[in-house]
Amino acid sequence: MHKYLLKRFLLMLPTLFGVALVTFLLIRVIPGDVVELRYSGDRGAVSQELLDRERARIGLDQPVWKQFVTWMGGVLRFDFGTSMWTGAPIWEEIKLRFALSFQLAIMATAVAVLLAIPLGVLAALKQDTWVDYSVRVFSIAGLSMPSFWLGIVLILLLLVVFKWLPPMVYTPFWTSPTQNLAQLIWPALAVGYRYSAIATRMTRSAMLEVLREDYIRTARAKGLMQKLILSRHALKNAMLPVLTVVALEFAFLIGGLVVTEQVFNLNGIGLLFVQAVAQRDYTLLQALIMLVAGAFIVVNFMMDIAYAWLDPRIRYR
Amino acid sequence: MALNPPLDQAVEIEVPAAGGGWTQAVREFCRARPLGAIGAGIIVVMLVVAVAAPLLAPYDPVVNDFASMLAAPSAAHWLGTDAFGRDVLSRLIYGSRTALLVGFGASVLGATLGAVLGVASAYFGGRVDLYLQRVMDVFLSFPLIILALALVAILGNSIPNLILAIMIPMIPRSALVIRSSALAIREMPYVDAARAAGFGHGRIILRHMLPNVMASYLIMLTAFLGQAILLESSLSFLGLGVQEPIAAWGLMLRGAAVEFAEAAPWMAVFPGLAISLSVFAFNLFGDSLRDALDPRLKTQ
Repeated sequence: MHKYLLKRFLLMLPTLFGVALVTFLLIRVIPGDVVELRYSGDRGAVSQELLDRERARIGLDQPVWKQFVTWMGGVLRFDFGTSMWTGAPIWEEIKLRFALSFQLAIMATAVAVLLAIPLGVLAALKQDTWVDYSVRVFSIAGLSMPSFWLGIVLILLLLVVFKWLPPMVYTPFWTSPTQNLAQLIWPALAVGYRYSAIATRMTRSAMLEVLREDYIRTARAKGLMQKLILSRHALKNAMLPVLTVVALEFAFLIGGLVVTEQVFNLNGIGLLFVQAVAQRDYTLLQALIMLVAGAFIVVNFMMDIAYAWLDPRIRYR
Repeated sequence: MALNPPLDQAVEIEVPAAGGGWTQAVREFCRARPLGAIGAGIIVVMLVVAVAAPLLAPYDPVVNDFASMLAAPSAAHWLGTDAFGRDVLSRLIYGSRTALLVGFGASVLGATLGAVLGVASAYFGGRVDLYLQRVMDVFLSFPLIILALALVAILGNSIPNLILAIMIPMIPRSALVIRSSALAIREMPYVDAARAAGFGHGRIILRHMLPNVMASYLIMLTAFLGQAILLESSLSFLGLGVQEPIAAWGLMLRGAAVEFAEAAPWMAVFPGLAISLSVFAFNLFGDSLRDALDPRLKTQ
């Protein structure tokens, strides 16, 4: 087990380094830089000297490899530097937005799981009947609707039917839980429904596979109640692949809700990302992408460990 | 829309020059997988609409008509008009061209390049495989939309660039899946035979291995089609995709459609329905295709 753990951990490091390198190079290929953009308002009136001085101040005059080494040095100490646009420490810029995106990701994942597991089990039990087909159509429909459009329609419905608009200003959960939930439940529903589709499908096929196992037949043969067979024997064994899908989706949700945040006027990580691209705020972009991709890599790693822990066959491979 | 009996669909998606085997396969698919056949039917209708757009659209999709701004649906404008007085129905019809062009372009290119990489990775094995896998891992760590956004910022937002930006994040996803099917094929005797006959690597990969991962390839391709259309509409919605005045569904949902959603809901509702319906059709078809092609998921 320890050997497997170590091997998986060491495999994670080159990926993280690769992500850092790709991120760093990719954003520098975007035409224009932060200094040019900041002074673009008074184009022509700015001397080349001033631009050069500004670039030197934030270190953009250094050769690219040197900038990379400096940045990596900071990253290793979890120091992401300051924003090139605002000058504030990156962590200050990200903190509140991360809290928002993180909470939304948790809520959306909860919605997805609450939909996916009952529906998936139901579809598996009634395989190839109209129940199975309805579940499939329902979940594929979710996968097909852009969540930003679902958001628009939701808001519109609330407005027309209940003459009520969800609060449009973000309140942290600890300040006022009701206010906070009244705002975030709608994007969570829109996104959760969409992301439930893959988990539903996974639950269905995992259940189908498990229900054909010998130990289920044994349980049935010894006269165990259907409910107990399902909860104790089948579901428990079918959950592993479902858990993986859900965990990976969760990791992507933290940074991947760019469009939904736009519709619901949420100042989260996704919106910050779009803004950082527009401003060519390299340091902020680097930190954001590292955060999002890093979350994915770490969750992936943890899932592998959980797998090995729960299923002894894997670690001896 | 989707209520035709399955047999009609069979006639629709028949390939004209196909032999008896094909017809049989299509019929079989429709009988066994009615949902997939419905999806295929909608796709065919969409293709027809896109091709015949100039004949079907009642108005020019890019001409402003300030006399009838934000008009509600009526006999003259079935689905109403937008903030520039442009006919929503006509823009929807022309928008299908954008969606299908970007959708097919990005997913065919992405799935194919991924397949070639995946098969090559499995075929060569060893170091090549290891390094390629690590590079893929890196690209798989970025959410699709984040990578596409960065690429659009680099490339600029013309339609070919949009296709490129959506295609690139798909390559590693396709390569990952295709590689795992190709690993099994590499051990097949006919690959050994081809090598013994002295064929080059390129020929073995393209002629002998690639055709045998067709099932995984088709599954990836159909899954990508829906995703590509969604991604294009998301990027356009953010203002980073297709630019005005080109008709595109995501773009139609941007700006005025949200601002005036209460007063002029037709602007916000119909383009979203068009996106959802087309992605739904591709997903439904792809899902059934996966069931049909993946022997592990077959009913007992």
